[in-house]
Amino acid sequence: MPASTSASSAARPNAAYANPIIRLNNLRKVYNVPERESGLGASVRSLWSRETKDVVAVGDISFDVAPGEIVGFLGPNGAGKTTTLKMLSGLLHPSEGTATVLGYVPWQREKAYLQQMTLVMGQRNQLAWDIPVADSYELNQAIYRIPDAQYRQTLSELSDLLDLGPLLTKPSRNLSLGERMKCELAGALLHQPRVLFLDEPTLGLDITAQRRIRSFVAEYGARHNATVLLTSHYMADVEALAERVIVIHHGVLLFDGPLSGLVERFSPYKTVTVDLDGPASDIDRFGEVMQVEEGRITLQVPKGDAAAVTARLLAELPVVDLSVTDPPIDEVIDRVFNTGEAATESRIAAGATPEPALA
Amino acid sequence: MTYLHLFWIHLRLGVLNELQYRTNLGVQLLQSFVGLATSLLGLGIIFSKTDTLDGWLPAELLVVVGVYMIVSGLTQMIVRPSLTRFMEDVRLGTLDFMLTKPVDAQVLASMRQVEIWKLIDVLVGMAVLVVAVVRLGAAIGIEEALLFLLALTCGVVIIYSFLVILATCAFWFVKLDNILNIFQSMYEAGRWPIGIYPPWLRSVLTFIVPVGFAVTVPSEGLTGRTSPTLLLGALGLAIVLPLVARLFWRFGIRHYSGASA
Amino acid sequence: MIDLVYLYRAQFKVTIAEQFQYRGALVIWLLGLMLEPVIYLSVWAAVANSQGGQVDAFTAADFAAYYLIAMMVDHAGFTWIMWEMEYWIRQGNLSALLVRPVHPIHRHIANNLTFKLLTFFVLLPVVIALAVIYRPNFTITTESLLAFIPALTLAMALRFAVEWTLASLAFWVTRVSAINQLWFVAFLFLSGFAAPIALLPSFAQTLAHWLPFYRMLGFPVDVLLGHLSPQQVLTGLGAQVAWLVVAYVVLQFTWARGIRQYSAVGA
Repeated sequence: MPASTSASSAARPNAAYANPIIRLNNLRKVYNVPERESGLGASVRSLWSRETKDVVAVGDISFDVAPGEIVGFLGPNGAGKTTTLKMLSGLLHPSEGTATVLGYVPWQREKAYLQQMTLVMGQRNQLAWDIPVADSYELNQAIYRIPDAQYRQTLSELSDLLDLGPLLTKPSRNLSLGERMKCELAGALLHQPRVLFLDEPTLGLDITAQRRIRSFVAEYGARHNATVLLTSHYMADVEALAERVIVIHHGVLLFDGPLSGLVERFSPYKTVTVDLDGPASDIDRFGEVMQVEEGRITLQVPKGDAAAVTARLLAELPVVDLSVTDPPIDEVIDRVFNTGEAATESRIAAGATPEPALA
Repeated sequence: MTYLHLFWIHLRLGVLNELQYRTNLGVQLLQSFVGLATSLLGLGIIFSKTDTLDGWLPAELLVVVGVYMIVSGLTQMIVRPSLTRFMEDVRLGTLDFMLTKPVDAQVLASMRQVEIWKLIDVLVGMAVLVVAVVRLGAAIGIEEALLFLLALTCGVVIIYSFLVILATCAFWFVKLDNILNIFQSMYEAGRWPIGIYPPWLRSVLTFIVPVGFAVTVPSEGLTGRTSPTLLLGALGLAIVLPLVARLFWRFGIRHYSGASA
Repeated sequence: MIDLVYLYRAQFKVTIAEQFQYRGALVIWLLGLMLEPVIYLSVWAAVANSQGGQVDAFTAADFAAYYLIAMMVDHAGFTWIMWEMEYWIRQGNLSALLVRPVHPIHRHIANNLTFKLLTFFVLLPVVIALAVIYRPNFTITTESLLAFIPALTLAMALRFAVEWTLASLAFWVTRVSAINQLWFVAFLFLSGFAAPIALLPSFAQTLAHWLPFYRMLGFPVDVLLGHLSPQQVLTGLGAQVAWLVVAYVVLQFTWARGIRQYSAVGA
């Protein structure tokens, strides 16, 4: 495995950060949920006895985030991303473990902390439904005690970046999904938070709106040196924004490192595409054939063999053009989630901690 | 004061919001007068069959009607709509946004939604009170007026705390969105002096659903039939119940965030 | 038809499971439902007492009988469709119900009946306990009981149809709470809830006879307690049927128009 920036020998990856803005230490959240079968009998029985079971939403997660970093937080539904974000934004108490953000313990919910962070959830709205967006913002101004001058300045900056102009006077119910999200984001940033927790900010938006939100987050982060922890289902979000990704699955941290490292680590293959000027036969001797189009063949080749296969292809076939690429990130992520469970188990079996041993 | 400022903004937003639905003013005017008519019709029917109800004269019962409208107008203008919205926020998960704000969540939850036209109820209630006082004539002095104001303040505080306690239950029971409606129907019991109810119901309306303290005790103050025990009780409750509500609220929040689990 | 039977059975099961799940809310609902008749019972009992035991033909025990029966009739008849419909429309949940191949009214009827069945077993002990406290004077004959059955059924159907119609106003009006309140106040006085209509001034009695409110609550109660002559019972049943037909036609009309409005606005 290639060496990388983070010290894989240390107990916690990225412990090298001298002044992390976010630090999680073996954070763990266990929910106690009622368990009930369907049916009338079960309903009646549940009147006097409710069976419950423990569900581990987040199990012993540790990582640090440096100031100004934009980190993509990945995992399939139910992986524990939202639970983690909720703990970091002070909405949930962890069952075990510690965390500090900006030096505060989030769930103590000190006003000074809340004043400096924001939480945006793509699937939920905080703008008042019936009143113009600008009026909702004024409420936020009062809540965060933003001085008038600063408020006006921030609003005009956000309004420029997001092109909000005509939207501000409309009630939020008259906005499209994408417009509403832009307004949500602006409203959540009026107090110029230093830490942003964005939970699926592009959920359900069309490509244009997604792109808009993405470039905005990048721009905002750069301008204000804001730290962003972002979850998303859209890999494009993560590719565009985050140099570093953290992958969790079933509440366990599987990977923490640069996006390229993720591909390196989880995809042992390269994709080789060749354009041919003439017939080719028996091509599967070069590798696994992914796709055959007229004059073009796509192969999957073990990473180590890529160079050799390329040489043989060039020597043996009428090649016009050839490219070697990493497989699409979506595919890699899919592979991570599908094999994640097995990987976790095998690592535990091998005596390693369930913590990420990689990067 | 941040909180006063916040309240002012909510009030303004409430007005703005209502202006969008302009028919609501007319509707609310209608509603207030229908509410008044309900009380007066009730009184009319009763007093067509009797001269006094449990020792209360018609004009004295008019005092009860006025106080009833004032207190219900105040709660329905601010507290009830806000707490209804709070309970919906719990259910939909949008409460999270409120909890990530650097202001006291209970205060915010108690004033987030203002239904400004309910003010008409308060005004109508005051008018009724004036009429009642005029009809009672000389019977009301400074002392009664002060007792009345004291008892009314206590009553409003008690009802507010009680509603907060009710709404806080939403942290445990998800489908409680109607609990405040139900309270309203229990509050209807306050249209009448609670003395007319059988003892068990009187205790319920005093201690479990404190309607008696909110309406009957202030009315007694104004009509010169103050019972020192009840007034002291109201004072005590007006001090204790907000504290209980506060503790319960914090307990609810802790439960919500999983701190107690 | 068979499909509907299956639908009702399934809805029945779901509702029961739901109600057990939300038993806290259930208890509170019932408390509110039972308190109101007790308020008016107490008021009238107090009036009777301050009048030496009797108001017109009603003794305190008669009032008790009247309001205990009224409590049960009210329980059988009340609906929550006006709140539910507003919620459905506002949240856009109605769309999900409209794309199903059955009319949403069936869902609500099944839901309503199941709820009543379930809560009846809570109501009954309360009524018995109140009977012990208030010592009502029940004079129920076989004939009145027989007449009560159609009177109650028609009252339930009528109230359901009317309140569903009112609920469908939510298609046009954004906030229907005012309409609801008007309806409830009119209902309070003209149905025989605030006072048995025999105690109302004569013009109000006339009004009550010509409007549908009394047919939804006070009428079945008066039928059961034998307050009415056979002639009056028959007229009343006829009035119930007539109002039900009217309500049904209006309901069909408003619902169809409402759906069109809903789809025109684009939910």
